[in-house]
Amino acid sequence: MVRIGFEIHVQLKTKSKLFCSCPTNFLEAEPNTNICPVCTAQPGSKPEGINEEVIRKAVMVALALNCKIRDEPLRFLRKHYFYPDLPNNYQRTSEPFAVDGELNGVRIREIHIEEDPGRYELREGIVDYNRSGVPLIEIVTEPDMTTVEEARNFLKHLRAVLDYLDVILYPEIGFRVDANVSIEGGERVEVKNINSIHGVVRALKYEIARHKRMLAMGKKIVRETRHWDEVRGVTVSLREKETAEDYRYMPDPDIPPYHIDPALVKELRAKMPELPHQKRDRLVREYGIDESAAWTFVLDKELGDLFESLAKQFGVKNATSFCLNLRGELNYRDKYLAEIPNRERLTKLAELYFGGKITKPVYVEYLRKILDDPAFVPAEQEQLSDDAIRQIAHEIIKANPQAVADYKSGEKKALNFLVGQIVARTKGRADPKRAIQILREELQRL
Amino acid sequence: MPMIEEILERIRSGEMKPSEHLEEKIEVLEHREPELNAFITKTVDLAREQAKEIDKIVESGGGEAFYGLIWGIKDNFALKGIRMTCGSKMLEDYIPPYTATPVQKILDNHGVILGKLNMDEFACGSSGETSYFGPTRNARDPEYVPGGSSSGAGAAVAAGIVDLALGSDTGGSIRNPASFNGVVGLKPTYGLVSRYGLADLAMSLDVPGPLAPDAYGIALAMDVLQGFDSKDRVSARRKLPFLESIDSFDPEHVRISVSESLLNGVDPAVRKTTEHVIRFFESKGVEIVDVDLPDIWAAFPTYYLVMYPEFASAMQKFDGIRYGHRVDASTLYETVAQSREEGFGKEIKRRITMGTFISMAKNAEWYKLALRARTTLLHMFENAFKQADIIVSPTVPTLPFKLGERINDPVKMYMADALTVPANLTGIPAISFPAGWKGRLPIGVQLMGPRFTDHILVSAVRFFEKEGKQWSE
Repeated sequence: MVRIGFEIHVQLKTKSKLFCSCPTNFLEAEPNTNICPVCTAQPGSKPEGINEEVIRKAVMVALALNCKIRDEPLRFLRKHYFYPDLPNNYQRTSEPFAVDGELNGVRIREIHIEEDPGRYELREGIVDYNRSGVPLIEIVTEPDMTTVEEARNFLKHLRAVLDYLDVILYPEIGFRVDANVSIEGGERVEVKNINSIHGVVRALKYEIARHKRMLAMGKKIVRETRHWDEVRGVTVSLREKETAEDYRYMPDPDIPPYHIDPALVKELRAKMPELPHQKRDRLVREYGIDESAAWTFVLDKELGDLFESLAKQFGVKNATSFCLNLRGELNYRDKYLAEIPNRERLTKLAELYFGGKITKPVYVEYLRKILDDPAFVPAEQEQLSDDAIRQIAHEIIKANPQAVADYKSGEKKALNFLVGQIVARTKGRADPKRAIQILREELQRL
Repeated sequence: MPMIEEILERIRSGEMKPSEHLEEKIEVLEHREPELNAFITKTVDLAREQAKEIDKIVESGGGEAFYGLIWGIKDNFALKGIRMTCGSKMLEDYIPPYTATPVQKILDNHGVILGKLNMDEFACGSSGETSYFGPTRNARDPEYVPGGSSSGAGAAVAAGIVDLALGSDTGGSIRNPASFNGVVGLKPTYGLVSRYGLADLAMSLDVPGPLAPDAYGIALAMDVLQGFDSKDRVSARRKLPFLESIDSFDPEHVRISVSESLLNGVDPAVRKTTEHVIRFFESKGVEIVDVDLPDIWAAFPTYYLVMYPEFASAMQKFDGIRYGHRVDASTLYETVAQSREEGFGKEIKRRITMGTFISMAKNAEWYKLALRARTTLLHMFENAFKQADIIVSPTVPTLPFKLGERINDPVKMYMADALTVPANLTGIPAISFPAGWKGRLPIGVQLMGPRFTDHILVSAVRFFEKEGKQWSE
């Protein structure tokens, strides 16, 4: 049997860092501009505080994952190891502040708070400390998943919860997964630092296949840590657990234990926004769509929101088909709707299509363009006049005598072929319904 | 030596300008420094600029607490733009980009900073001999060590080069040189003075504090230095009335304890001085009580089990990458290893090695044991302070010793801290003041009190200064 568990790192969306007041927007800032004596570990600097905003966001996540918040002083530990991106050469990480949660049938073992290191460019030998001290939470699951599919479903659900809480600093990169996987007869292997759900699925499939192959060849699977090489699509061994480092954990004397106020927990529980499963139930109830479509929509927060707004404007049926198409196109691109810029273009597209201003092929073409080209703006297209369509129909009939003959002999499919030719020739500017009508008339005349 | 009060009065009355006072001190500096080596970096130009500014302010009737009194700053506090070495080759060229909170408070209150003072490397030492910039000498007799680690602070105050000095105390580093140089030094209650900008030794023990020629200087300094700082999580939201209560020591309402366990095995002259102080207070009507400190022996081993791992952890940041001494080697690992190998002195390496060993996962029990022992000591002192308001002991069990005498015998060197470490482990305030002399060598006595009674200890020293006589032999 396969067993899969995760450790998920989430960069929390806060204005300032965990232990100092430097801003967290490390992606936009020039290298080494969001820094101060604290987050570059100048001699004599001390952690200024525990950013309250971090505690609030972390507790929100824990509550959404049905965890118990520990009602006792939370200690921060120093985890010692030398690396250029870590200015103190120790990382500050809290003990678990939340335990015993559950999501999607997977038990959450614990959640704790950590500081992110800076970014070290190994090849250039350059370090950027803008990220140093950005708050992270690490969510640790029990190894409760037994198939890649379950693992994928769990991660998608978790990701949706985090999006609904709006707690991820940079949604496109702020979600890093370490996957633990084992199969019966082998030791547990950890694959570190996978930065997308799609990547996790690929890495798990690769690992499970590798384990099975090893066992079939009579080889032993040792406990080890591996790296996921996204480009080559393989995992590579980093180190075996036997030689694991001793991090010399010790409570940070500069940070007095922090007691999370039960009153704060109560307040946050009351403020909890609608979560994905609640929204799914509401969509089923209010719009009468089936549960699986609803779940598909709500798993992508923006898509769920779009569905609701389209349903109000164009009706449930139109909104459902539009959003299912969109979901398919996004899946193909392995993207969340939030990653698509200028999303108001999608509402515009729906207006054009459901308002009969563009044809279905154009709608499909536009949808893809919106997803692939941030500059593309859908606009109403001039429709060809009946005369113009007739002109083209003549040409198509002339050019395809065989299809015409087939049609004449009762082969109905030939008509579709001819219509397709017209649509292609006109680049979608001919309304297919009109094209069929005119083509039929012209074929009758022959 | 003119006492701090008199100097202040002369400046405030306009009899002497701050800049004139500074020039006097610069003369003393030029005269004594070549022998003492109390400074690592002199900031004479900066001091002159500062004094000129303060001249104008005082002339126009203004002026903050220090009115241009001359300060020396131990070289493990950051002062923006002025190098901070911590007495180490590792930081020989390090220029801090920010200013420590206690230093900023001194500047804001018109203290003139004459320089950064010599110290044992990273404050690791009790003799002032481990500095990369050479040993400091005792201001009373240059054949002798000045004590440490705030060696330059003790010597510069005693020699009259500075009026006041800022030191730091982790296991006795203020009190030890205060005792050896015959000045007053206060290790405040842990958290009463912000540690922001003080380079770490052992974070749960470190506390900044002043050295001064007299109790008044300590009180004046503490009124400024104390107070909450949002940049230091352990700093306390407390302020004590130092100057306000300096003359309110009331012998009729104070109980002072003497405990034989604190006098075991100390030098006879040191013992006699301590007993002399106790007899003095008794003669003034203070109730003397015998207090048992049964677990005091545990303080010494506990100190090392706590200090070593915290120190090793704090020293991780020195890797030659962002700042500090750097050896460029072929691999990253070698760059870090060689930078540390070259940048650190022997005692630093000893402590990092010990601390790393103690904090390894397989030895986790030791550190836990030490934390339990700390709690036991805390309870023991809490009980003692139910019976006594002040506990008296020698500051250092021995007289000052000669340079080179103990530097190769770490155990003997460490013994100098035996009576000062309990206050650090329990966070209580402790003050050392000159109470006796053996020839030219000063002998300090230590007073300890419950947390946040620092001002009462200062007033007790003031009382002794006014009413008592120093023992001598």
